[in-house]
Amino acid sequence: MAGFLIKRLLQAIFVVIAITLLVSFAIRLTGDPAVMMFQGGGSMTEDDLARIRTALGTDQPFLVQYFSFLKGLLTLNFGRSFTGSTPVSQLIANALPATLLLAFISMVVSIAISIPLGIKAATARGKAADQIIRVLSLLGLSFPNFWLALMMVLLFSITLGWLPPSGMVGISSYVMPAVTMGVILTATNVRLVRTAMLETLQSQYIMVARAKGLSEIKVLYKHALRNCAIPLITYFGIQFGGLLGGIVVIERVFNWPGLGTLAFDAVGARDYPVLQGVITVLALFIVGVNLLVDIAYGLVDPRIRTE
Amino acid sequence: MKRMKWGLKIALTALVMSSVAITAAPAFAAGKLTVSSSQDPGSWDPIDTFLVAWAAVSTNIFDGLTYRGPDLKLVPGLAESWEELDQGKRIRFKLRHNVKFHDGEPFNAEAVKFTFDRLLGEQGAKGPQRSNYTAIESIDIIDDYTVDMKLKTPDPVLLTKLAGYGAMIVPPKYIKEKGEDYFNLNPVGTGAFKFVSYTPKVNIKLDANPDYWGGAPKLSELEYRFISEPATAVAELQAGRVDIVIPPTIPIGMLPVIQGDSKLEIASVPGPTVDSLRFNTRDGITADPRVRKAIIMAVDRDTIVKSILAGQGTEIVSFQNSLSFGYDADLKPLPYDPAGAKKLLAEAGVKPGAALQIDIRGNDATMNEVAQVVASYLQMVGLTATIKPYETNVLLNDIIPQGKTGAMFQQKWGGWTFDYDNTAYSMYHSGEKWNPYEKDAALDKLLESQRPLTDRAEREKVLKEIGKYVADKALELPLYNSNAIYGVSKRVKGFVPAPDTRIKLNEVTVD
Repeated sequence: MAGFLIKRLLQAIFVVIAITLLVSFAIRLTGDPAVMMFQGGGSMTEDDLARIRTALGTDQPFLVQYFSFLKGLLTLNFGRSFTGSTPVSQLIANALPATLLLAFISMVVSIAISIPLGIKAATARGKAADQIIRVLSLLGLSFPNFWLALMMVLLFSITLGWLPPSGMVGISSYVMPAVTMGVILTATNVRLVRTAMLETLQSQYIMVARAKGLSEIKVLYKHALRNCAIPLITYFGIQFGGLLGGIVVIERVFNWPGLGTLAFDAVGARDYPVLQGVITVLALFIVGVNLLVDIAYGLVDPRIRTE
Repeated sequence: MKRMKWGLKIALTALVMSSVAITAAPAFAAGKLTVSSSQDPGSWDPIDTFLVAWAAVSTNIFDGLTYRGPDLKLVPGLAESWEELDQGKRIRFKLRHNVKFHDGEPFNAEAVKFTFDRLLGEQGAKGPQRSNYTAIESIDIIDDYTVDMKLKTPDPVLLTKLAGYGAMIVPPKYIKEKGEDYFNLNPVGTGAFKFVSYTPKVNIKLDANPDYWGGAPKLSELEYRFISEPATAVAELQAGRVDIVIPPTIPIGMLPVIQGDSKLEIASVPGPTVDSLRFNTRDGITADPRVRKAIIMAVDRDTIVKSILAGQGTEIVSFQNSLSFGYDADLKPLPYDPAGAKKLLAEAGVKPGAALQIDIRGNDATMNEVAQVVASYLQMVGLTATIKPYETNVLLNDIIPQGKTGAMFQQKWGGWTFDYDNTAYSMYHSGEKWNPYEKDAALDKLLESQRPLTDRAEREKVLKEIGKYVADKALELPLYNSNAIYGVSKRVKGFVPAPDTRIKLNEVTVD
């Protein structure tokens, strides 16, 4: 077990370095944060720009900048934002819970809906219920998520006045973002569950279980679901990782102060420390989630545990 | 049994009270105003930023020696009076008495000296504001309420620049005790509202300062929320959770939504931002001034402003708006004359179907539409235009300064000082970042000559000459001056829209 963890730790470090190196390099290819600072007006001379670049540290060669970033990582110091010199760790500490909470609630909503629906579609294969569920899933995949978000805001905030249109301002503000995210996730996951269940339901032991006279619920949830859990867990795990970064559009529409907004603004302003910090944290999270998924395998499938 | 009943009663009461608290949810306490701003400047220190979004908030937290309100008139601020000595190389300010910073320390000559030493010194070197105040050499304290500002060269725009941004007065004791980092996130000034809390990317909250020297504000609380997505900001306005949306959030396409809502209204004034399509005078067909003039004549700028901008802008003839110092009302634009344009093009030997590229900022919704209309006008005189949208940062840093643009490229400028000098020098002087193609010694001399002039009439004359020179040489296709558009809830009373977004809200009330 220890060897396994050490191997995974080394992999994690390698992944983080590869990704941050790539991103840090790419964002420096165009644009200049010093020029962005003068956008509001006022003449800027080359001297002024040089002065700002020295203050920001962007006049150093790329590798020097990158290594000082790595050095900072060792002490969990991500540097300061170019926009206002707030410590990046503080910005991330504010934004991370917001994104995690939204991602987590969206996943829970999606799993809670897609498992029963997927199972229903699998067992009712070819019949009306299956058709309806598959069409709904297609609709969910086809709607652009920002359109859905705006429609919900129009209905629930402006017309009815039940929910706040944006911001992370209390429990009611979680509803629309989580539902919007949840709908899209569910649309994908329903099909996944259905496919996984279909395969499992073909197996011999299912026939045996039914022949034994077990209730259908027991057959489906205790036996079939447990057996197709592995591909599902893998996929949900990867999906969660992807959610963390890909939630940008929802965060913008709902003004959700999460990592997506932070990264998006940082790219536009060429705020290197913030972007590097966010990418590092995201990479670590995704690697961590994948690790948890692998451990979960062992729990779900006794055969893997003995390896 | 009695205990249970009692316990039940308490629980029920608590439930009812909490549900009342949740459902009652009054949107605002009496006297609270909520403003939506599109950007979070990240730091509230006056020397750190040029962002308009900073000034929209900080005009309520800090004051300058002078003050310039929505009417653009310069009046006393923290300085009651001033006089120019030594041919404009020294300005003596008499400071206001009995003014305190929000932390209790007194405002006096010490604070003024500290502010400018800091701006021009090490701290200021890290930020962009300093370059606006390089005319200042030092501050000398004459007595507790008198300071002399020594200048390296007379700067005619200086008094205006003292009204905002980097020159706003900061508290010496507070900064020395708490440190720079703390001051960035917990600002203290002499203004009408004092800082309460700041959550990055979410909001900043202010409370009224009842001891404000300009009179206690009529509001009790002020909150600015940072909402960058226009649709979201307008939704908040419609839902009644935000009272004012400040520029540049509202795009022209959303105006009917606000105008159609009986609880909302639009307050719109000409802003400082001007847009034009500058010519590449070095490469291709636009190197010929006849071609440039033909292009200007081929485009009906008036119709563009009336239809695409829905009247929320004005046509410009030079790269400034009508409120700017140096504006020449007598300068006439080239007429809209497609036939004349075709003739000029033929004269210059341009074949029908000649191609040219127009570079614009990709995220500028208005310019995207305008550019397409310009392209169709050009089509009508036989020029085939393609539009190339760029990410703003790339356009500003990699494309324009390095002279890699197409035949025409978008220039957008918004100087809060409303002074043509600020703009013209950066746009037309050789070697400036925004002028990669022109090297005109005569124009350079004109631009340099007006900088030190303190006689307003003389300066105005030279600035007008510059405007005419640029128009004669057809260095650009001047397009429009956009309005500063505010979306306001009708519950707000006494709000005066500021052209430069530097809104001071101490006279505003809410129903």
